[in-house]
Amino acid sequence: MKKSALWLLSLLLVMSVFLAACSGGGEKASTDKEPKDDGKASGEAQEGGTVTFGYTQPFKGVLSYAYYEGEDDVNALKFMHEGIFNTSEELTTVPGLADWEMSEDNTKLTIKFKEGIKWHDGEELTVEDLEYAWYLIADPTYEGARFANVEMIKGAQEYKDGKADKIEGIKIIDDYTIEVTVKSPTVNLIDNIWSYPEPKHYYGDISSKELPDSDQIRKNPIGIGPFKVKNIVPGEMIEFERFDDYWQGKPKLDGIVYKIIDGSLTQGLVQNGEIDVIEAPKDQWETIKALDNVNPQEVDALSYSYIAFDWGHYDTKKGVVVSDNKKFQNKNLRHAMAHAIDRQAFIDGFANGLGKPLNTPFPSVSWAKIDESEINAYEFDQEKAKKLLDEAGYVDKDGDGFREDPEGKPFTINFDAMAGAETSEARAQFILQSWQEVGLNAKLNGGSLKDFNLFYDTIEADDPSVETFMGAWGLASDPDPAGIWLSTDKWNMWRWYSEESDALIKKGVTFPEDPSKDVKEHRQEIYNEWQKLVNEELPVIFFEQRVDAWAVNKRVGGVKLYADGVMPNEVYNWHIVE
Amino acid sequence: MLQYTIRRLIGMIPIIFLISVVVFTLAKLMPGDALSGKIDPLNSDPEYIEEMREKMGLNDPIPVQYVRWMSGVVQGDFGDSFIHKRPVMELIGDRLPNTIILGLSALVITYLLAFLMGRYSGRFAYSIGDYLISAFNYLALAIPSFVAALVAIYVFAINLGWVPASGSIGSGVEAGTLEYYLSKAKHTVLPAIVLGAMATAAYTQFLRNDMIESSRKDYVRTARAKGTKESAIYNKHILRNSIIPIVTLLGFDIANLFGGAIITETIFTYPGIGYLFVESVHARDYSVMMAITMMLTILTLIGNLVADLLYGLVDPRIRLS
Repeated sequence: MKKSALWLLSLLLVMSVFLAACSGGGEKASTDKEPKDDGKASGEAQEGGTVTFGYTQPFKGVLSYAYYEGEDDVNALKFMHEGIFNTSEELTTVPGLADWEMSEDNTKLTIKFKEGIKWHDGEELTVEDLEYAWYLIADPTYEGARFANVEMIKGAQEYKDGKADKIEGIKIIDDYTIEVTVKSPTVNLIDNIWSYPEPKHYYGDISSKELPDSDQIRKNPIGIGPFKVKNIVPGEMIEFERFDDYWQGKPKLDGIVYKIIDGSLTQGLVQNGEIDVIEAPKDQWETIKALDNVNPQEVDALSYSYIAFDWGHYDTKKGVVVSDNKKFQNKNLRHAMAHAIDRQAFIDGFANGLGKPLNTPFPSVSWAKIDESEINAYEFDQEKAKKLLDEAGYVDKDGDGFREDPEGKPFTINFDAMAGAETSEARAQFILQSWQEVGLNAKLNGGSLKDFNLFYDTIEADDPSVETFMGAWGLASDPDPAGIWLSTDKWNMWRWYSEESDALIKKGVTFPEDPSKDVKEHRQEIYNEWQKLVNEELPVIFFEQRVDAWAVNKRVGGVKLYADGVMPNEVYNWHIVE
Repeated sequence: MLQYTIRRLIGMIPIIFLISVVVFTLAKLMPGDALSGKIDPLNSDPEYIEEMREKMGLNDPIPVQYVRWMSGVVQGDFGDSFIHKRPVMELIGDRLPNTIILGLSALVITYLLAFLMGRYSGRFAYSIGDYLISAFNYLALAIPSFVAALVAIYVFAINLGWVPASGSIGSGVEAGTLEYYLSKAKHTVLPAIVLGAMATAAYTQFLRNDMIESSRKDYVRTARAKGTKESAIYNKHILRNSIIPIVTLLGFDIANLFGGAIITETIFTYPGIGYLFVESVHARDYSVMMAITMMLTILTLIGNLVADLLYGLVDPRIRLS
């Protein structure tokens, strides 16, 4: 096992060298082979044709929203099935093939489906299919991770625990209308409630436990999306064909092929047209972007990286974090460490510019993001960092070039980061050097990077050697920071305890006291306050928001990518341009 | 012979048992498990992870987990893959045909090339051709297979466009048609050549050295003295004797055949056992990982036995007892 890990590591290393050499040649080849085409999607839209969508990890083939686990499967699902609501560009939930209404007291949600929407086998979609999906997820034998999206329905927990044989809060009014009673009113109910129907008539009486391994999901899955599955080659390729009865109209393409490739071949396969749409590996972006047949698209991703300070540990018995580590309690120290790093240079150097420095943990596209002018941007400024450290009493007393702590004791900082990408080591060194340049004695914890599993194992176990670490989180479309930021959250990895922050987070999901006030506005105010708090307190250095790079072949039109990738309700519009 | 075989088979049992302990312990010693990749506030929460760990028995003491796993294994049940949500045996069964096709084609290529090159080198030892062949062989041995694979893909698939770059089958072909088999062959040929042509060194040198040695033997001198044609001496007398050690190597290739080629399969996105193994190690999908390792263990042991038996069969001077 050890050996194969080593193998892979060396493989990655040599491959990167090799690719660097290779991509230069490839670029040259493209200029004299491909005909020049500079009109950006200028031609007429055509009927028919096939588009190949590429991905670099093998898919597992669990083709159901209720059961899938990874991006590899959801990529395919997006072509064949969709939820009843859509997500807007500002990341709010908007009506799709269903609309909704809340009762006055915010406890009853009525969902109304459009009529005449068909499953791929010709049966009509009804609210029973949505109810069925909720039942599958709340089933005691369900092994997926979606229960949090059903839990708010009254009686779901009892059903899961086997104490009830029905979920009390669900009431079907007619084939197209369903009413849900929730346990308690929450502002983000519509963003959180499970909104992907499952074909009840098609799955029959297969139990929730056996479904993920059934032919209905693995071999002949159906949905209501614009394309239906024609052929699945496990782990390698899925072929889709047009579904003529799609509810938004007949799709323009004849079919879509979802194809798995090795990431190192992306540039070549995009160049010779074998792959039409793919999220490009960041290290190849420079050359892929320049290809003649590619429309490059850069999209702000829903994820960010951070450098956290270790504040203490998690008290498992009480279920709360305890910020008992004295090392980073000084705010000037934290601010100085943020000012010492040139984040833009880091992004330009290691990610081909695919990233943006960020200063609060909200995605830039979110409606709840605070205006940048209201917060500290922690711009790169070594002099300021040094001044802050001097003020805080961290000065070099023994003349070894490194600062001592205010009591005059040697001050060292352990830093942890994940191994994996070929530039991981260089990235870590960049950060260590940034700190060393302002006089902080920073070094790699244990002298080496940790692999993903070891990294999180060490941090979750509150290993005393962990002092600062660089991790990354995904961002949800709803801005509620609970799950990571509450002092009771296990995934509050930096163990930061703040009553003020807890209070704001909890307040952020309540309804305004004055019922005439707009809920969004009310939440915005609270989240602005919270963002100012974490921006000022800086329990972690917010590092960069990632930017995803997509290559789209110029022969394909109508393709727009979002933070989430492909938007399922827009796929029917994809077409071939002349 | 039968007695010998049975004795060897019985002797395998403690070895398999010991290896199973090692495999299991090593797997469990790796940091993380199938659920640690699920640290993602968007798709799960700590309670779910804890609940699943409990449900899957990952919180039990390691000996308890071992006994549970082993008692399944003896009954031929390797458990379910957590990542793929299906029984491990089904998963391996799905991938096995691909790996065998690739392995067999590569093996045929290796033997064919090694036979031709070995015969030439053995007959014209220390000639320029012989040196060129050795140079090629050692170069092929020294080039890491992923470099060879990437170069081959860039040249033959991307620049020349002769064969597809990845996958095991093209889109839009129906299973069972002639087109389907052609597509399959087209997808297999490049990885098979990369895999096969790069592995000829051992076989070629075996054959060459054995031929050189044989050519100095008495029976060859006799044949020469009797005026037999040089080509007949080499093709009939020497080659036949020299092929013996090569044939026995077949036994050792059995495990290779089923084990798949981890790196080549990954780069060519060729869904076989090797690819599955890498994927499982990354995702800490223990059940799949351990099943593949155990399968390879048993096949290697059987391969060794087959090699020994073949030796006895083709070379009557060796008595098995």
